[in-house]
Amino acid sequence: MSAPDMAPVPVSKTGTGSSQPDGVIFLQVEGLVKQFPGTLALDHVDLTVRHGEIHALLGENGAGKSTLIRQVCGASQPTSGKILIEGAQVALPSPHAAAARGIAVVHQHFNLAPQISVAENLFLTEGLPRRAGIFVDWSETFRRARTLLARVGLDLDPRREVSQLRPDEAAMVAIAKAIGADAKLIILDEPTAALLPAEVAVLFGHMRRLAAEGHAFLYVSHKLAEVFEIADRVTVLRDGRNAGHWTREQLSRRSIIEAIVGSQKTFTEEALDAPVQPGEVLLSAAGARGGRVADMSFELRAHEILGIAGLPGGGAEEALDLLYGRYPMTGGRLVIGGAEVTLKSPRDAKAAGLALVPKDRHAESLLPGASVRENISLPNLNQFITDPVLRLIRRAKERTQAEAIGRRLSVKMSGVEAPIQSLSGGNQQKAILGRWLASGARIFMLNSPTAAVDIGAKAEIYALIREIAANGAGVLFTSTEVEEFPRVCHRVLVFRDGRIAGELLGKEATEANILNLAAGEGE
Amino acid sequence: MSTITGAPARPKLDFTVLFARFGTLASLIALLIAFSLARSDVFPTVNNLLNIMSQISILGTMAFGLTVCLVMGLFDLSIAAMATLGGYVATFLLVQYPDSVSVPVAVAASLVTAALIGILNGLIVSYLGISAFIATLATGSIITGAVLGISDSKTIITGIPDGFMAIGQGAIFGVANPILIMLSVGLALWLLLEHTQLGRHLYAIGGSAEASRLSGIAVKRYAPFALAICAGCAGLGGLMAAAVLGAGRPQGVGDGYLLNAFASVFIGASSLRPGKFHILGTLIGVLLIGVINNGLSVMGVPTYWQYIVQGVLLVAALFSAGVLTMRKH
Repeated sequence: MSAPDMAPVPVSKTGTGSSQPDGVIFLQVEGLVKQFPGTLALDHVDLTVRHGEIHALLGENGAGKSTLIRQVCGASQPTSGKILIEGAQVALPSPHAAAARGIAVVHQHFNLAPQISVAENLFLTEGLPRRAGIFVDWSETFRRARTLLARVGLDLDPRREVSQLRPDEAAMVAIAKAIGADAKLIILDEPTAALLPAEVAVLFGHMRRLAAEGHAFLYVSHKLAEVFEIADRVTVLRDGRNAGHWTREQLSRRSIIEAIVGSQKTFTEEALDAPVQPGEVLLSAAGARGGRVADMSFELRAHEILGIAGLPGGGAEEALDLLYGRYPMTGGRLVIGGAEVTLKSPRDAKAAGLALVPKDRHAESLLPGASVRENISLPNLNQFITDPVLRLIRRAKERTQAEAIGRRLSVKMSGVEAPIQSLSGGNQQKAILGRWLASGARIFMLNSPTAAVDIGAKAEIYALIREIAANGAGVLFTSTEVEEFPRVCHRVLVFRDGRIAGELLGKEATEANILNLAAGEGE
Repeated sequence: MSTITGAPARPKLDFTVLFARFGTLASLIALLIAFSLARSDVFPTVNNLLNIMSQISILGTMAFGLTVCLVMGLFDLSIAAMATLGGYVATFLLVQYPDSVSVPVAVAASLVTAALIGILNGLIVSYLGISAFIATLATGSIITGAVLGISDSKTIITGIPDGFMAIGQGAIFGVANPILIMLSVGLALWLLLEHTQLGRHLYAIGGSAEASRLSGIAVKRYAPFALAICAGCAGLGGLMAAAVLGAGRPQGVGDGYLLNAFASVFIGASSLRPGKFHILGTLIGVLLIGVINNGLSVMGVPTYWQYIVQGVLLVAALFSAGVLTMRKH
């Protein structure tokens, strides 16, 4: 039995790190090496994090960010190199040891248990306060939880179930949990992945205040715009090595991107400048509505990449789902290829020549246990059947097509029989796009096709989207990253509250213009 | 970290992979050799080996059907009740209407009844959104009750025509009919799962129902189909049992097969293609159980050991398949 009455959290204390002046080094990593069989994951990496600093750690997938974090939080042991905390060299044999030294990690999904209360989550590690060592002292639990939440500036009922929280509230509860465990350095691994822009702003406000109290943050993110907003310092890793270090005053978008990507890859930042000659109308929607989409009228032509933008919940993503028959259209007309259609299911939509690449690759598009071949042929098996009754599949023909698609999209794999899980995110996504190329779809609807793929693969996917349009298909593109629209689209429709709030053509379709239209400013 | 992709598979022998892939097959062969050495006079004879095949034919038929719905991710717990139903309906019709119902008609009626209940299971799963595990537990209970009620708990013994008993007791070229039935069912379902569009769609839905739906597959239509196949096979298994025994028992026919059928299919999913349900694997699982039971009884080991050994075996098989998935992380 653990001690029944642990000391209550002091209310007046303004943060455990506040005794340390800002600028004093908390964590220092020197020449860290991590050798995996066949791969040098970290090659003499240095990192310095000071009290009261928000330090961004950037790099492509596979650059070594997660490996570095795992060494620092005690989840894994470095092959060589030193980790110093407040000047003294330490060994961190376990996450518990790292926590005892004041290092806490908040993972992407905040490692909270969703079905229990906020308070229970806050005391998950140390145990709930108890009476007589047996019965949970609930009033004491909630009192301490409230105190802790107040310390991170969160006005929240600790009895609420975590699954009922907004993502930014969940993030703050995870941070409160870390601070409750006396964390001086909080490592945040892509905390904003699930957050709306307004929620990100709230989270950043809290982070700045806690940093001012002396807490240090190591912030891992893919979103450059956020890093520019919040970071005091930036460290970039590439191929397991240090690729650059910047202080806030030196930050430059171009140099950071170059450091992340390396010199060998080129990265197109500019909008599509070659104007296209749009072909015939492939799809036209008139007053279409259903779900969050209140009213949608537009035309999509062959050769055109049409962006569907908007804030989350504004109807942009839902518009693609609606067109694909994922939920019923409650009104309006839809004309595809000159004929009016009613799409009751994805099956109908596919038959009408539509293809959807959904946002969540793992939950919505991959067959996780299957091979690359099986993933590519999934919607196209009817191309290989011998007869209409038994529907035996010609395996050789199926394999030939998968190999052709793999070559055409330069999917890096050991072969089409390799498990799809053995491919990187970018190559998985190329296989998914290949699935629809093989199906002969004429209207491609892509929702965040570059989510969770590294920057090099992003450029390849952008090029592929352009090629799809150049070959005569129409593309409807949406993304959670607004900066992608100017790079990908010829024309952008901006949704607000389920309606098309405006249309931006070519060079007008800047990030700022899109956000202004989506948020309803400037009217 | 940075070179996960693109690298060709290392040609180095990986014993964990070999163990997970071929462990079950290897233990089957090892057991065959061990029992043959221990009782060389009794075990490795043509008669005894055919005997083993006979003993597993009912289990095999039911397990093959169960494989089809597990491929789609559906647990069918009604197979025990379905087997009882299959045997009882056929014998009931033959005895009650000896003049109007021929053996083929009785067999067809029994299988169709089972399949229709399977379809009902599937409709409950697809359109009422109840998990197959619970839905089939419920229908299984309903079937058990209905058969007990209709039969007034009385076993049908007299009046079963020889033509029906031949299904269980006859042989072609020295091979017992139940063996031939099991192998035919296995072959048909192997073709279905491995080589038809329908089978590939079942695997796809089992892998990711949402990805399948977005690929234009009418996902909801497949559960009634898969559960009907499973129910039909279970009914056929019970029918074979009734023909072997020469009796239509209104209760308990399928109970002994439920756990063993699941054990076989899961042992099968740990062999050759770890993590995937497939007919060939199920056959290995069924054979393993058959060989253990036969071997132990030939050796004179008390029956209760069979249960213990099967349980241990199931855990070992699932562990060996799990080793692969665990190592990926």
